[in-house]
Amino acid sequence: MQVQVRLFATYREIVGAGQLAWTLRDGTTVGQLVDAVLAKYPRLVGHGNSMLLAVNHEVVRSDSILREGDEVALLPPVSGGAR
Amino acid sequence: MIEIQRSRIDVEAVVNSVRRDDAGAIVVFLGSVRSDPEVRALDYEVYKPMALRTLTELVERAKEKFGALEMSIVHRVGRVPVRGDSVVLACAAAHRSEAFAACAWAMDEVKRIVPIWKTEAGPRRPRAKPDGNPRGRPAAHRKVP
Repeated sequence: MQVQVRLFATYREIVGAGQLAWTLRDGTTVGQLVDAVLAKYPRLVGHGNSMLLAVNHEVVRSDSILREGDEVALLPPVSGGAR
Repeated sequence: MIEIQRSRIDVEAVVNSVRRDDAGAIVVFLGSVRSDPEVRALDYEVYKPMALRTLTELVERAKEKFGALEMSIVHRVGRVPVRGDSVVLACAAAHRSEAFAACAWAMDEVKRIVPIWKTEAGPRRPRAKPDGNPRGRPAAHRKVP
């Protein structure tokens, strides 16, 4: 099956693209997809702990199972601004 | 009114969108781009469908949690110069205490959970490059608006 991977801000700049088509085996989890993306783009590895994951615009856990056509977003920490 | 737009925000239109006969207080927050050495503007990037969904949900939560009657949030994307408003939030409630509380809470949530990122733009602070060697100050560390 194929999913779309969306990348933003720092992650997009590291990868050099904002969207990637990714082919997976059925039953792949979001976490397994992220592992594959990090393996292909090792400069992302240092960002793994702060990465937020969303599927079809909704935040998900890494054990969520992906389906054909899902849009998976790897989200850096948002703008912040504590004051 | 929930909007994400490239153009300048019409503050009066945002305020008027929350007016109601039973609202005795309207609190408005403007997030403006602050001058810093070597910073001329901020570049905002958004994951629009998720941001719109998140903003809509947090407005509903603000109404439930604080009794706010109406709330509008408009955020800019793209380049916003120093002194420009990057976000406008207007909140109407029966009384000012609810309006102030709901506005403050909602703005904190915007900064915490809405997928919008910013990068400083200035003559001697170039954007990060695709080779993974960002030389700009990370957007997440910027503490404005």
